[in-house]
Amino acid sequence: MKNSEPSLIGQSVRRTDAIDKVTGCAVFVDDIPFGPNLLHSRLVRSPHPHALIRSINTKKAERLPGVRTIVTGKELSARLGLYLIDRPIFASERVRYYGEPVAGVVATTENIAVEAAKLVEIEYEVLPAVYDPVESAQPDAPLLHPDLGSYTVANFIFPEPGTNISENFKIRKGDVETCWSDCEAIAEGQFRLPPIEHVPLETHTSIALSEKSGQITLWASSQSPFAMRDMIAQCLGIPHNKLRVIAPLVGGGFGGKAGVTMEACAVVMAQAVEGRPVKLRLTREEEFVGTSVRQSLVSDIKVGCDKDGTLLGMELTYYFGGGAYNDYGVNIARAAGYSCTGPYDVPNVKADSLCVYTNHPVGSAMRGFGMPEIHWGLEQIMDQLAEQIGMDPVEFRLKNCVRTDDEIVSGMKMTPIDLEACIEKASKAIKWEKKEKPTAPNKKRGKGIAIMWKAPAMPPNPGSAAVVRFNEDATVNVEVGGQELGQGAFTVAAQIAAEMLGVPYESVTVSYPLDTKYSPYEWQTVASRLTWSMGNAVKAAAADARTQILETVADHWDEEIDDLTIEDGLVISFKSEREQPLDKMVIYGLPNEDFEGWKGGPVIGRGHFMPTYVTNLDPETGQGTRAVVHYTVGAQAVDLEVDLETGQLEVLNIASVYDVGRAINPDLIMTQIEGGAVHGMSSAFEELKFNESGEVLNPSFVDYRIATIADIPRKIHGDYVETPIDDGPWGARGVGEHVMVQTAPAIANALYDAVGIRFSDLPLSADKIYLALEEKINREK
Amino acid sequence: MLARPGLPDFEYMKAESPQDVFRLLEERGGEVKLLMGGTDLFVQMRDGNESAGILLDLKYLPGMKDISYTKKKGIKIGAAVTLNQLSAHPDVTNHFQILSQSADTVGNYQLRNRATLGGNLCNASPSADMAPAALVLEGEVSLSGPDGERVMALDQFWVGPGKTALKEYEFMTAVCFPNPPSGAVGRYLKLGRSKMGDLAIVGVAVLGYPDPEVPAGIRFRIGINSTAPTVYRVPQVEELLAKAPLSDDILRQASGEAMKVSAPIEDVRATVLYQKKMVNNLTFKGLKEVWSQLINS
Repeated sequence: MKNSEPSLIGQSVRRTDAIDKVTGCAVFVDDIPFGPNLLHSRLVRSPHPHALIRSINTKKAERLPGVRTIVTGKELSARLGLYLIDRPIFASERVRYYGEPVAGVVATTENIAVEAAKLVEIEYEVLPAVYDPVESAQPDAPLLHPDLGSYTVANFIFPEPGTNISENFKIRKGDVETCWSDCEAIAEGQFRLPPIEHVPLETHTSIALSEKSGQITLWASSQSPFAMRDMIAQCLGIPHNKLRVIAPLVGGGFGGKAGVTMEACAVVMAQAVEGRPVKLRLTREEEFVGTSVRQSLVSDIKVGCDKDGTLLGMELTYYFGGGAYNDYGVNIARAAGYSCTGPYDVPNVKADSLCVYTNHPVGSAMRGFGMPEIHWGLEQIMDQLAEQIGMDPVEFRLKNCVRTDDEIVSGMKMTPIDLEACIEKASKAIKWEKKEKPTAPNKKRGKGIAIMWKAPAMPPNPGSAAVVRFNEDATVNVEVGGQELGQGAFTVAAQIAAEMLGVPYESVTVSYPLDTKYSPYEWQTVASRLTWSMGNAVKAAAADARTQILETVADHWDEEIDDLTIEDGLVISFKSEREQPLDKMVIYGLPNEDFEGWKGGPVIGRGHFMPTYVTNLDPETGQGTRAVVHYTVGAQAVDLEVDLETGQLEVLNIASVYDVGRAINPDLIMTQIEGGAVHGMSSAFEELKFNESGEVLNPSFVDYRIATIADIPRKIHGDYVETPIDDGPWGARGVGEHVMVQTAPAIANALYDAVGIRFSDLPLSADKIYLALEEKINREK
Repeated sequence: MLARPGLPDFEYMKAESPQDVFRLLEERGGEVKLLMGGTDLFVQMRDGNESAGILLDLKYLPGMKDISYTKKKGIKIGAAVTLNQLSAHPDVTNHFQILSQSADTVGNYQLRNRATLGGNLCNASPSADMAPAALVLEGEVSLSGPDGERVMALDQFWVGPGKTALKEYEFMTAVCFPNPPSGAVGRYLKLGRSKMGDLAIVGVAVLGYPDPEVPAGIRFRIGINSTAPTVYRVPQVEELLAKAPLSDDILRQASGEAMKVSAPIEDVRATVLYQKKMVNNLTFKGLKEVWSQLINS
């Protein structure tokens, strides 16, 4: 095999999708033309956060000219879900959040569908609602899912029927009770984090077509076409080969387009109007109320250290507000549970990580998956503890941070990382040691640091598959099932294939749109797992193709494979110095001497990857040999200032340093770091707001403010460390989510440094900061 | 409930003359909505708060997009002049800088290509960004109705949130601003939740000019938005500032008075207390900046 240094790995090659996206040629779901046959649809949504459905009358609506059908959940008893199958496609007996779909209207135009939706008469019996996860976990809380005990559930999730608790993950490690007496300092606190939205530029859109033959095709804006197919097929009893999901490029996902959101509604509506494609396109407002959100979290944290600042124990309770359905959220609580300490070495830990039903929108995956939620409290309380013991926050973290081979909270041995290097680089980049002057007299300046860890949160054995297919001219098509969401997954796939095959990067094309009929399997585009898992599959597929080529040539030349390699599209022999161009031979093979027959044939490489080494965790202690495949770690340091006249924050510099194992494409890492810093800021400053009736008060960009181009930090410093892992391509692991996990607490720590106020609850609105500043001034008077 | 996906169906008509407008309003009254830039109307229609069978576009009426300036009379700005035009027009930037400064704070560049001065003022939103500056410049609006033209001082024009003194069938054709007093300096300070594209949580326009007749030597006019049913001036505060020699303490006292006058309501954007404090702080900041600029010039 090839022994020379990789030439494409570590190169910032141009993105495969750059030209298409910049010129507007890239096709998204809504761009696909379906002609006059296309029908349009709207969902009738619940106006109550919790109610029983007494009756649904669709007669008036059906009589409106142009209406083709109206679908309700009456005949649909099956439920959807990935880890806990608890979600109906259309609510039929009970609604559990404001905006829950109750009926679907199909009509010849969208405007007719809008009018018809208003004519659907639904009688509700309003029930008491519960929004706070701590309240909802109490025995006397209104029960949202009386049938919880009968739902199908993954074998590593533990719901508590008769309560609103859908998952209770426990860690019992060491002896927490007795460790407190050895502590010199103990910090305690409660931290709260509200639900937020993913706000992708492209709202959820899907088109479904059901044909007489029983074939169903679904075009969807999806991060996970295979998971989508699996969930819908199981729910509706459709054979997998009869349900085809086509997923063009995604205009922003951030986890919000993982699993199934509204796509099953489109399928059910299409089944009712056989032969006609039905389009369901959510408005921006529906994106806020009717798709998944990041779950809320209330965390109770107690942590103690000895006089040297060494951490001795932690006691944690996490209450995740999972919203109305926890089909995905249960695994977030689980992931938060087995990583509950954050990236610290703590010998004694007691933790309960609960997912709790509430009458809020469905909580689900969002960038970082449980980690931004828990780090919000963890990274602040570590600063508090450091202050109590009189240690600098950077020094405290260097002392206590997790290291390679440490036995971590779940009992597993830490995979290779160098968090210390990340901390040192990040703090250096914002001149941690230097107290700097604010840029104006009405401002105060402060610096803060926060560190993080995150493992891909997924079932133990999610698989990736890839196919590498040669064309006559030795250009290559790489087929994958992982999605391009803007993160650059296709570019990395092309880079890996080109490197392995010894062909120029420019000659590799990644086939899209993804299509479950043709694309090889991929579990989901989530968990920052593609560079690692899909990367491994592509590498294996390319290696397979390479072997096929070398076998043919070796045979042809009567040489050993080990003496051959491929460079720049030429097979070269180290031994005989012969050369064989790849073009033509990768399809037609090579002739025997005097054309007495042929060797080889069309080269198609196949490869897959599936982690086989993740083990079960004990349900009572959360301990096991290997909870996860690996961890990615990183540090963020923030230099900011606060306007004392308005309470507004301005991030002057944010330094992000992550241990990526191996940088396949440094520019793509930098763009993740930049995007993550801005996303992290937005997550610190905004929230979904609800009134007492559970109605979302800010379901549009008018009042849900995310950072604009004018708000981004003045400087974003990005860097990385490379500590390779054993099971990633060239040691690489993902970094797409990690870059925003600890931004909010890093900002909060810097804010504390600037003004001496600790904010335990997000968001950090200017309003809240200003009034707290005034209160502090008044108190000190 | 939630906004609909697109606009409801409507008929679009372009008015060629004021008579067109009156005739159509008389014939089809209730169905007609007058259209300027549409940046608010379309949103309201989508949200289901407004409906219209016919949108009658006034932008192409004679003079609606004109800007004319004379040294003697000041400036006349057609109601359909867009905010980007206001932002860049030399007569505006040279003589009414606070107008172009205010225009630059509205929404984003794309929106300002459509949004008009007349639309912003007729919309009568309490948070209208053009209104504080228009008030302190003591503008007058020209209104056209079936009975002819009339002129009204802007401080009479707004009567409540979304409500103006426009009579049935009447529409705005232009806004006139007299030349500001000699040596005037203006400033519009807008506080939003993000630096771009937000509505004003509080906006304060301050216009200051030398006036040897008053003890302060300077007169101020202050216009404030987002913190009362209409955009308003604070004459009692302006008087207070004129009465005594200026100092930081006087400015602070005046800002405190402005805060007392303000009457914000609690909403999804900000608490009452924060909005009141921001009236105080932005008024002080605006006064201080204008004062410093006057002293230095």
